[in-house]
Amino acid sequence: MKEDKENLMGLAEDLVNFGRKNGADEIEVSIIQGYEFNVNVRLGEIENLVEASSKKLFIRIIKNKKVALVKSEDFSKETLERLILNTIKRAEFGNPDEFACLPKRQKLKIDISSLNLYDPQISELSTKKKIGLAMETERIALMDKRITNSHGASFNTNKVKRILINSNGFSGQYIETNYSLSIGLQAGETDARVEGYWYCARRHLRELETPEEIAKKAVERTVRQLGAKKIKTQNVPVVLEPNMTSELLAFLFTCVSGISIYQKASFLADKLGEKIGNDLITIIDDGLMPGKLGTRPFDSEGVPTQKTIVIKKGVLESYLCNTYAARKLKLKSTGNCSGKGVGPNNFYLMPDKYSPEEIIKSVDKGLLLIRTIGHGLNPVTGDISRGAFGLWIEKGEIVYPVSEITISGNLSKILNQIEMVGNDLDFRSRCAGPTIKIGEMTISGI
Amino acid sequence: MIINPLLCNPFFSDQVISLSPVIFKDYFGLTLRDIEKILDFALSKGGEFSEIFLEYKIYNYIRMEEDIIKETAENIILGAGIRVISGEKTGYGYSNDLSLNSLKKIALVAASIANNPSIINTKPLSPIKFPQNLYSISIPIYKETISKKIELVEKVYLAAKNYNSKIKKVRVYLEDEIQYITIANSEGLIVSDARLLVKLICISIAEKNGKKDSGYYGGGGRVGMEYFIKKLSPKKIGEQASEEAILLLDAIDAPAGEMSVILAPGHSGVMIHEAVGHLLEADFNRKKTSIFWNKMGKRVASPQVTIYDDPTIPNFRGSLNVDDEGTIPKKTLLIEKGIMRGLLQDRLSAKIMKMLLTGHGRRQDYTYIPIPRMTNTYIERGEYDPEEIIKSVKKGFYALKYQGGQVEDSGKFTFSVSSGYLIEDGRLTAPVKQATLIGTNIDILNKIEMVGCDLEFGMQTGTCGKNGQAVPVTDGCPTIKISRMTVGGRK
Repeated sequence: MKEDKENLMGLAEDLVNFGRKNGADEIEVSIIQGYEFNVNVRLGEIENLVEASSKKLFIRIIKNKKVALVKSEDFSKETLERLILNTIKRAEFGNPDEFACLPKRQKLKIDISSLNLYDPQISELSTKKKIGLAMETERIALMDKRITNSHGASFNTNKVKRILINSNGFSGQYIETNYSLSIGLQAGETDARVEGYWYCARRHLRELETPEEIAKKAVERTVRQLGAKKIKTQNVPVVLEPNMTSELLAFLFTCVSGISIYQKASFLADKLGEKIGNDLITIIDDGLMPGKLGTRPFDSEGVPTQKTIVIKKGVLESYLCNTYAARKLKLKSTGNCSGKGVGPNNFYLMPDKYSPEEIIKSVDKGLLLIRTIGHGLNPVTGDISRGAFGLWIEKGEIVYPVSEITISGNLSKILNQIEMVGNDLDFRSRCAGPTIKIGEMTISGI
Repeated sequence: MIINPLLCNPFFSDQVISLSPVIFKDYFGLTLRDIEKILDFALSKGGEFSEIFLEYKIYNYIRMEEDIIKETAENIILGAGIRVISGEKTGYGYSNDLSLNSLKKIALVAASIANNPSIINTKPLSPIKFPQNLYSISIPIYKETISKKIELVEKVYLAAKNYNSKIKKVRVYLEDEIQYITIANSEGLIVSDARLLVKLICISIAEKNGKKDSGYYGGGGRVGMEYFIKKLSPKKIGEQASEEAILLLDAIDAPAGEMSVILAPGHSGVMIHEAVGHLLEADFNRKKTSIFWNKMGKRVASPQVTIYDDPTIPNFRGSLNVDDEGTIPKKTLLIEKGIMRGLLQDRLSAKIMKMLLTGHGRRQDYTYIPIPRMTNTYIERGEYDPEEIIKSVKKGFYALKYQGGQVEDSGKFTFSVSSGYLIEDGRLTAPVKQATLIGTNIDILNKIEMVGCDLEFGMQTGTCGKNGQAVPVTDGCPTIKISRMTVGGRK
């Protein structure tokens, strides 16, 4: 990247000054500059190879407590100054909002380099090596004769520089890297195919699972669905694999987001301090864990990130807020501002002592949930209803795969029905959780 | 760097400024000769086909909640994507910098997908025109003053808020955009378009005795201000959103298990979009991952089922004068009386499969490679009276409005219903909330027992996602009866 030559930091500073001089009460400028590499390979050949760099600039202006935003991919100074002038003018057409303001300047709690967000190896990795990782992953997967088709394997790297400056004196920047390797497979004949995939995403190349690990997991996760049966509609215990717990947590995140709360668009509105789940549930949002995907020194409006206990042994201790939601709710920002809204840092369910095998063993008759499709999440009510794929458990053993079922329940009830929490927490995404067992959910089948 | 006349975006000030599409005259500041040079550069390593996609988009947004206009925003999207095809391989690069030097650089990045001496040159570019303008309107919203737009938003808000005292929170969003594009390729094609798009939506939250639920409604398309006067009033948008929220306050849990399902006309098009549309996109078929790949000319649905994708419906959200590869789109027959007849093609798939282009190559923006996508997908009207269809069911589920759906190549698909009714003895009875329906597409298509004569299109607010790319779509459907399908309610 040629970021140094361009002096984007200087540009952001100039724009903040320009905005202040021309009537903005408060102004925030952020710049995201990215370098992307992506290769898809399929059946041993390259399908697509993408290499590109791009940058985006975001401005928030507050004038007379009225908010106006602008985003531009055109970086010419003339354009940007015109945009700022026009945005100040446009702000006048909004209504004053007493809660609107930029965060007060706060010192970062840590040294950015200690967060380990950047892997210098990204500049050294050759195109050939990158293509090779994807090729190798698919080659190993296709060696298994039960695999009948491939969606292809992908290797992706991103290097992103983030700059943020505001008129309250905040100024910060950092560079982060991301790597991901993934593959999608099919097994079975055309009219009875099953689908499976596996991926790994990390900030550091050395932490990425190897092509062999990814290929083998993808194969295993695909072929275990072959020969699926339909089952009767019934209420049974459901075990969630870690990636399914992560999906559930992403939904819970929406429900504890300060924005959903002040909008009354969450079943957890007005529940702060109440017992909303059982003792097994402790949920944390932590932006300061070194090297993790959701880690960042400050959020997208310059509030230092922190470790926030969201639910402690079932008691709702904190909502996750940006500055605006926090002011609306008379709380403090938790460093969760993301774009225009609120987003997770590393949002996770605290693991317990059980191995996934022990959890499955404890189920007399129930479902191991391995994949869901569709929508069907309603934060206002907590209702969940999704298409599902799973493995049927009888007397503690997995007996056969099931498909064409749906799974439904209500998050408010589920939080009180989690009976076991696993020890297999792995931060594969910003929302992460271990294997869990839910006492009862409705499975719809035939 | 770019085209200052366009910076007179009227959203900026409260005056209407006439926008002349300068952009077309000079192709983003480039001459035809420049573009030919870039396309040639892209072929310098032996690629067979090169293409440049230039984009400039202005997107405006207004949000009202808690009785105030809380936020307005404007996004300027600007960039170019260059693609080179060599055999079945694609090289792609993009940049925000449209200088000739920068474009040559990304042309070289894309060119590297091939590794041979150059074999062909770009043919002289000759501009093409499309047969009709599908976005013909009288009052362009992107030229409208911000006060006028706010007035529109406030009308929706008030209609929703005043609908019923149980309505506690309302949010209204207005989005409008104008996307200028120029596409040129090494076969000598060059074409430009200015695509406008509007979306006005309302979300209402109702509360009674501590119980809450929400409703949604909206409209838009490639339409002008007159749409909100003649076709869909702001009042209706607000009232419909609140009506659904109020209805759901007293709704019961959906039933669970297999039963007869009737899909309401209009919004239920999402079922066809998921069950049929995606898996008839050509890429999944040439790769043989779609369950349909070996079924062209074969029966895949009940004889009552005829399905089209039509990008040429005037002013619809999914319609295109020209697709994102420069092809003039055609109304495409997908299924005729239950027999599979067609696929949705982009250039690469059509070339590999040796089939004709249909004009369904789309991309979210210049940062993406185009892929085959739907536009406006619908099931053709049948012969049954909708009343008669409902009467034919003793016990079942009536699906009214939707959150969306998903499908995978194996044909397993879901769609999530936000509100519906129980059917008892041929009548709609209790309102029912949140349920996901699941099935395998060919099985469910064969279980379509009755197709109504009441074809309608759903809300003009839909967005479809594939490979991480979002594009505007619509879908349509008459009343339909599916003899049996799994309904994911609660027991």
